[in-house]
Amino acid sequence: MNVAWWCSGNPGQVWTWRYTPFLGVWIVSAALIGGYLRAHRSAGRPVDRRLLRRWVAGVAAIALVSEWPLGALGAGYLATVGILRYVAITFIAAPLLIAAVPTWLLDRWLPHGTARWTAVRWLTRWPVALLLFNAVLFGTHLPGTIDTLKVYQLGSFAVDAAHLLAALAWWFPAMRREPDRGALREPLRAFYLFASSMLMFVPATFLAFSPLPLYGLYELAPPLWLGFDPVRDQQLAGVLMNVVGGLALWTVIAIGFMRWGQAEERADAAARRARAGSGPVDRTS
Amino acid sequence: MSRGRTRRRLVALIAPAVLLAACSAAPSSSTALSAQGLTRAADGWLGIPLSVERSLPAVTLLTTSDRPFVLDEELRGTPTLLFFGYSSCPDICPIHLASIASAMEQTRTRYDQVQVVFVSVDPERDTPERIGEFLGHFSDRMIGLHGDLAVVEAALGQLDLPGPIVEGPDPRGEGDLIGHPAQVIGFDAAGDARRVWPFGTRRADWVEDIPRIVAEWSS
Repeated sequence: MNVAWWCSGNPGQVWTWRYTPFLGVWIVSAALIGGYLRAHRSAGRPVDRRLLRRWVAGVAAIALVSEWPLGALGAGYLATVGILRYVAITFIAAPLLIAAVPTWLLDRWLPHGTARWTAVRWLTRWPVALLLFNAVLFGTHLPGTIDTLKVYQLGSFAVDAAHLLAALAWWFPAMRREPDRGALREPLRAFYLFASSMLMFVPATFLAFSPLPLYGLYELAPPLWLGFDPVRDQQLAGVLMNVVGGLALWTVIAIGFMRWGQAEERADAAARRARAGSGPVDRTS
Repeated sequence: MSRGRTRRRLVALIAPAVLLAACSAAPSSSTALSAQGLTRAADGWLGIPLSVERSLPAVTLLTTSDRPFVLDEELRGTPTLLFFGYSSCPDICPIHLASIASAMEQTRTRYDQVQVVFVSVDPERDTPERIGEFLGHFSDRMIGLHGDLAVVEAALGQLDLPGPIVEGPDPRGEGDLIGHPAQVIGFDAAGDARRVWPFGTRRADWVEDIPRIVAEWSS
C-alpha cells in the first residue's frame, strides 16, 4: 500500500482507485481532537458535548476533504474537487472550530496580555482579517501558486494550512461574542461578511469564465475519463465557489441580521415598557 | 509547556512528514514527462523548431475504414499535426488530442485547414473501431491510422523517433503501458517537418500556434 504525508498533485501519475492513506491527515486530526480534550482535562472542566460535536465535525470536515480520495482528486486531478476542499475548509471547518471553543478555553489558549494574544488580536481585527483572508484566497488560487506548490506534499499542506488559518482569523471577529476579543456587532458584521462575499466573486468569476484552463496541474493531469474537459471542470469549480461559498456567507449574514433585528425589537419593546411603567416624562427638566 | 517539549513535539510531528513526503510513491505512468509550459521564441511561435530536415514518412498505413493511406502523398497540400500514440494511453495521448481539438474549436480552425493525424503504435489492441471510438471523444474529423508494427516503426524511424516499447502493466489494470514519442510533429503543406510540440504543451499554446500554422504553412 502506498502511504503519503499529505495529498498533492503528481504530474503524470495515473489515477487509480487504490487507497493511499495520508498519514498527516490522521496525525493532524488526532492532534486537534486530542488537544481539545486534553485542554478540558487539564483545566478540570467537563466537556460540553454540544461544543465537542462542533469541534469534531470541524476536524472531520478537514479530514474528509484531505484524506483519499477527495484529497488526492482535489490536489492533482479535478479543479472542482480542489475548490470543494477550499470551500469545506473555509466555510464549514473553520466556523465550526471557532464556534466550538468556549470563552474559558479561549482565555486559556490566548490569555490577555500575552504576545500570543497580541498577535491574534492584531490578525483578527476586522480590516486585517478581511485583508488577510482575501490575500490568501487570491494568492493561493493564482495559477503560479497552484502549479508550483501543489505538486509537493509539503507545499500542498502549506496551502491547506494557510486556508484554514486565514479562515479562522476571518471568522473570528464575525463569530465570537466576546466584546473584549474584538467581536463585531451588527451591522458592521453583516458588512464584513458581505464585503468578503463580493470579493470572493472575483477569483470565482475568473474560474467560471476563462475560456482556457488556468492551471497546468489540472489541465495536464492524466484524465479520469476520456473526453474530460479541464475548462468545464474549471467552470464548475468557479460556480461551486460562488454558489456554495456565497450561500454559506449569505446564510450567516441573514441569520445574524435576523437575530440583530429581533434583539433590537426586544430592546425597543423593553424601552417602551420601561417608559410606560415610569409614567409621562417631564421634558422640561 | 517548556520550549524544549514544544520543540520535541514539533520535530516528532514534522519529521515523519518530511520522511514520508520524500519517500512516498504512487502509481505512475512511465510514459509521462514532466508537465511544463513552452517558452515563446523570438518569432512568436511556441512550438519548438526542428534543426534537421525531415519529411512526411513514405509509408502506407490503413484508415479506420481499412482504406490504404499513403502518408507522404495524402497529407501533402495541407498543414498536418502528426502524433503517434495508442488508445489505451492514460495520459499523453488523450491530453494532447483534447488540447488540440479544443484549440481548433476555439480558433475556429477547420480540419481541412490543419489535418490532425493519429497513428496507433499498438496494433494489438487498437482495432479500427477502437481508434475511431477513441478519436470520437475529441473530434470526428481527426484522421486515425493503423498498420503493422513494422510499418509504424518504419514511419517513426524516418522521423528519427524511437519505436514503441512495452513499459509494464497499466496501474489501472488495462493491459500494458506503451512508451511512445510524446511530441506532436507539425508538417507544412509541402510535407516538411517544421516544429514539434512536446508533452506539456497547453491549450493556450495551441490557441496561439494553430492560427500561425494556417497563416504560414498553408500552400
